[in-house]
Amino acid sequence: MSNSSKLKSAGTKPARAHEPRYRSLEKGKDFLCVLPALIFFFIFVYYPILDLFNISFTNWNLIRDDYKYVGIKNYKWLFTGSGLPTLLKSLKITFSYTFGEIALTLVGGIALATLFSKENRAYSAMRTIVFMPKYIAVATSAVVFSWILDGQYGILNYALGLLGVAPISWLTSEKTALISVLILTGWRVVGYGMLIYLSAMRSISPQYYEAAKLDGANAWQRFRFITIPLISPTTLFLFVTTFISSMKVFQSVDVMTNGGPYESTNVMVYWIYELAFVQFRVDRAAAVACVFFVILLLFTGLTMKVSNKNVYYES
Amino acid sequence: MNKLLRNALAVASLLSVALCGASAQASKYEVKKPIKIQWWHAMESQYTPLIEKVVADFEKENPNIDVEAIYQGSYADLNQKLIAAQAAGTNLPALTVANTPYVAQYGESGLCENLDPYIKATKYDVNDFGTGLRLASSYSGKQVALPFLISTQIMFYNKDMADAEHIKLPSTWAEMDAFLAKATKSEGGKTTRYGTVFPGWDQWYYEPFYLNNGVNIVNKDNATTDLGGAKAVAIAKQLKGWCDKGEAYWAFGKEGSTTMRQNFIDGKAFSVIHTSSLYNMYVTNCKFKVGMAYLPGGTTRNSEIGGCVLLIPAKNSQDVKNAAWKFLTYLTGKKVNMLWARETGYMPTRNSVTKTQEGKDFLAQKPAFKAVFDNIDHIYPRIQHPAYSALSKIWMNEMAKVIIEGGDVQSSMQNAAKLINEALED
Repeated sequence: MSNSSKLKSAGTKPARAHEPRYRSLEKGKDFLCVLPALIFFFIFVYYPILDLFNISFTNWNLIRDDYKYVGIKNYKWLFTGSGLPTLLKSLKITFSYTFGEIALTLVGGIALATLFSKENRAYSAMRTIVFMPKYIAVATSAVVFSWILDGQYGILNYALGLLGVAPISWLTSEKTALISVLILTGWRVVGYGMLIYLSAMRSISPQYYEAAKLDGANAWQRFRFITIPLISPTTLFLFVTTFISSMKVFQSVDVMTNGGPYESTNVMVYWIYELAFVQFRVDRAAAVACVFFVILLLFTGLTMKVSNKNVYYES
Repeated sequence: MNKLLRNALAVASLLSVALCGASAQASKYEVKKPIKIQWWHAMESQYTPLIEKVVADFEKENPNIDVEAIYQGSYADLNQKLIAAQAAGTNLPALTVANTPYVAQYGESGLCENLDPYIKATKYDVNDFGTGLRLASSYSGKQVALPFLISTQIMFYNKDMADAEHIKLPSTWAEMDAFLAKATKSEGGKTTRYGTVFPGWDQWYYEPFYLNNGVNIVNKDNATTDLGGAKAVAIAKQLKGWCDKGEAYWAFGKEGSTTMRQNFIDGKAFSVIHTSSLYNMYVTNCKFKVGMAYLPGGTTRNSEIGGCVLLIPAKNSQDVKNAAWKFLTYLTGKKVNMLWARETGYMPTRNSVTKTQEGKDFLAQKPAFKAVFDNIDHIYPRIQHPAYSALSKIWMNEMAKVIIEGGDVQSSMQNAAKLINEALED
């Protein structure tokens, strides 16, 4: 060992011995700080998830106190028994709804953000009005929309009637029930999408637009080749958060349609709820919830992977 | 003499032991110390003053018992809350109402206290209820509940219109065609007044049409249905035919009930099929005289029991159950029963009322109820099967779909039967 290396090691040795102890103490403190939150999460989030898997292997009917383990019986019912058609139908409905909500949030959000991007009091007031529905309770607005969309006494059909359109059974026809739920959703979410996009658009440097203008780009080209790529991280954020929240849609369906008519709005969470609290088949509800959990996890992971390749991060 | 005295003493001691035993049994169910109990119910805000009065009167008679009456939403909401409390084993009510179809499920699972020992020990006159009512609140031979607010399916009609236009209400299924043709009005091919409205949001309302025409909704094997059979298909075709012709409509969806009521109140429907418990609501809101007609029959002319029973969750402590029993007997007592009947649209449930002067007085006050009183022996308990809720949902959906959206009735009913058989077997 050379002298210099001896010196180095002599100089660093005490620091190396001291630093880990200090750091581990700091880490311990950090851990203690987050421990209450972790305990809370474990009791109210992780333990129920683990228990859900456990329940899915039992025959627990909520109305009974006793249950026994039945192996994969509930999964057999779901994948090879009478549960399969409902699972496929319910997934289809849930994905249709999710597609609708994502489209409304993204397209509606961009459109409104472009429309209301000007800075003056009138536009500020309009932005507030468009955003406000987001803060009205879903159940409250769903009750109001149930009346607006009522086939016989609803104001929407009345207004359409003035234009010569025949009454539409919004909530009682399987062709229109999901659209009706999406009308309420659209009313609630476009304002939120608008606000997020507005902040993203304002963070784009005006120099890009000026340069593009000098190069002869028209408004559409500037929007297509500057705005859209530069707000793509926001689009990804909205896509992922809307995907996860819309896959879990429940309240509006519960209030407006009860999963009907003829199960045409029987989204996954509503089906799980019905299995557990109407039919009391907690065992089957747990199996469906576990499968749905895995589906959500897979799709979210897939979305992140695909979007990471296509999202433009300016930095 | 000694022998006679000895025998007399033996008999006397036996009697005293028996009497002591009986009083010990009775005292087992007595409320000995002050207690606060909860009563869950599903009666909406218009009944709050009545509930408050009944509870106050009870507390006055029983100062040891403090009752907290809690409205828990609809029967379905209450059912969910009760099951959740039962699963958690906490916050169970001392006493609760339950919609009649839940009795089998609750009884089978052991949720309800067996009331037989209470009835025996306190000499409660359970036989004063009609046989049908007793059966509707019992499971497997045990009295697990007692009848409380009882109703049945009925046809409400516009009596002023019936009198003015000489419309005869149908007593048989075969008379329905003529009745609907006369009761319906149309202009330019568009219906301006429906002959009747079928409540398609709950199969309970049209179940009697099938039962009275010989359809076994659940066969004796408890695992199959006849709903895909020729008789059931024929009835479904008739129902669809009347709706297609515009003589009736199929009320469906979450607002189906509200819209149906409004149509009747507005005179846009001559009649509606609904629960007799809504008599007061119709009378209060209609500007015309409201009549009640018993549903038309086929080979039989029966209807089914609706409304709710009262039960005590078995997981409660004995002290709570004793207080609940005391309150239950008060609520189902003759005096309170008549109060419910007068103030709501529910029926008197006791033979000592329906078959006495009190019954006549009630009919004088609510003459439309004659249709129910005349047929009280033909009101039977609902079908009791653990898979009944699954069955009713499948049936309700298929009926609504084929009638409202269109399609082939036969294949629709057969599809319903296939799904129901799976549910029953499951």
